[in-house]
Amino acid sequence: MAVTTEPTEPTRPAADGEGAEADDRSERDQPPRGRRWGRSLRSRRPRRKGGLQTLERTRLPYGLIAPAAIFMVLIHILPMIGGWILSLKRLNTFTFSQLFGAPWTGLENYRTILFDSDNALHRGFNQALRNTIVYTFWTVGLTLALGLGVALLLNRPIRGQRIIRTLMLTPWVVPSFVMATLWQFMWRSDVGVINDMLVDWTHLLDHRPIWLNGPNSLWAIVIPSVWRGIPLAMLIFLAGLQAIPEELLEAAEMDGAGPFRQFRYVTFPLLRPLFAVQLLFGVIYASYQFAVPYVMMGSNPGPHADLLMTLVVRESFSNNLVGFGAAASTLMMIGMLVWVAIWYGAFRRDLELAR
Amino acid sequence: MITRRAVTKLALDALTWLVLALMLAPILYLVLASLQDNLRLSTGEFDLFHPTFEAFQRMWRRVDYTHFLMNSMVISAVAALLATAFASTAGYALARFRFRGSRPYEVSVIGTQLVPGSMFLLPVFLGFIWLQQNTFLRFQDTRTGMVIVYTAFFTPVSIFLMRAFFVAIPRDLEDAARVDGCTHFGAFVRVVLPAAAPGIAATFVYAFLFAFDEVLFASQLTQDDARTLPIGIRLFLGAHSEQYAQLLAAGVVSTLPIMVAFFATQRWLVKGLTAGAVKG
Repeated sequence: MAVTTEPTEPTRPAADGEGAEADDRSERDQPPRGRRWGRSLRSRRPRRKGGLQTLERTRLPYGLIAPAAIFMVLIHILPMIGGWILSLKRLNTFTFSQLFGAPWTGLENYRTILFDSDNALHRGFNQALRNTIVYTFWTVGLTLALGLGVALLLNRPIRGQRIIRTLMLTPWVVPSFVMATLWQFMWRSDVGVINDMLVDWTHLLDHRPIWLNGPNSLWAIVIPSVWRGIPLAMLIFLAGLQAIPEELLEAAEMDGAGPFRQFRYVTFPLLRPLFAVQLLFGVIYASYQFAVPYVMMGSNPGPHADLLMTLVVRESFSNNLVGFGAAASTLMMIGMLVWVAIWYGAFRRDLELAR
Repeated sequence: MITRRAVTKLALDALTWLVLALMLAPILYLVLASLQDNLRLSTGEFDLFHPTFEAFQRMWRRVDYTHFLMNSMVISAVAALLATAFASTAGYALARFRFRGSRPYEVSVIGTQLVPGSMFLLPVFLGFIWLQQNTFLRFQDTRTGMVIVYTAFFTPVSIFLMRAFFVAIPRDLEDAARVDGCTHFGAFVRVVLPAAAPGIAATFVYAFLFAFDEVLFASQLTQDDARTLPIGIRLFLGAHSEQYAQLLAAGVVSTLPIMVAFFATQRWLVKGLTAGAVKG
């Protein structure tokens, strides 16, 4: 019967002939029929949204986003453009008093950073870039791996489950500046508790290593970052684990899959979108890390722990090389865009599945 | 078979408790160390049976800790309040409306997260100096300046948190209010906002946590008047003496308000964070 009452049919039967399923729309449009039907169909959408309120509907969202948008333009967009302009200027100790009026220098700042191998800034940037990549790799990798591990542990039934889950979050609640000062204290070579553990208590090492200086210093910032990052990763993975239907895992078990294969073929594929999102933001935040090395080691963390952000801030503010800082920031941003593009290419399918 | 399962369960339970102990150990160590005096800390010999609250008393005198704490609290609270207010309207707009420009707006809000802080910091710093030299506006090293910067800086994340909360609120609620004669904005203020109260609280706490913990901007945009805790606390490690006990005691005191705020709103905060993340 639905076939005979096809609405697009030009010669439609009388109203009585319409099916019982005919909705309110056809009732409304009954008196004028025939060709007028098409028009009312076309005008159906705006009508449904309510005649007078159409105006309100189009304006209200703009009013709602206005305060946030104005702030964003003032503190995000304008300064960002300002940053690009500064990166094209020779703004250093000698021209600092001119502020934005400093002389133009074209792409000189970029050239110095990227290609001028005689320049200390070029070497400093390369070193900081290497450190940042190593720091980001280990911090994000370990945080996600351990966060997932802890989430799997906490997803099992255990006595005191709720209190364990809550307590597990505490490292994340400790402010990172407190965390950094605490670890700085624990890393001390002569009387620090970490060396006590490694040397005096467990005899793993026969001498007390120096952590806050030299080659070890990158680990001195990686490990606290991981420690503080695990709770959040765990929390998100745990939410994902709890959303997995029991039946899926039971079905896999029925088919003879052991715990490892269940994880490999059921659990992990379902967690992939969460993994992807955390990887994206984890890499961004780790690459822009500043607080941990700065609080722990001061404005110059030394060649082995100098990250891009500490380098940029030190050169821009302590040495007044604002042009360099702005150019380096722009390069970092371009690097991040490249990372987002790579990430998008790798995880596009997971994002579509998650929708 | 059953015994093997039991053994596995026992081993995994033990591992869970071990992991928890490892995660909590540094915090426990922080508390224990703050109950020692500087002499014991500098020799690394703890006397756990004779804790002293000396450091907690001295920390207020040695460095102007009260000043830093007040600055941090006021700046973070006001900035978090403003960010939450802006985010609740903008988050609602993004959750409920498809309007011309909504997609670019959304992308630009996420896009702010891709830009390194130094990109904003340099021009903002120079801009503040310029304003100080040429107008009556004082933003460099003032609480107002820091509030402006933090509000802007933590609004994007708050928008996404709030949006996740609004998406979870059924549309029928506003529709019912509008049938009763409310305007759409009226329905938002009277019906949706109260229903989103837990989300608003969570977003506020979240923004507060972030602002309280901000180091990059605080390190360059404040000198003395508006010095916040993350920077001020380092003064315990002066050139002449290392006041580790006071430093750690100050760390404990700085953590307390955050802990209280977090655990008071934990349920909503966790829900908002995970909802946002699961949705992507």
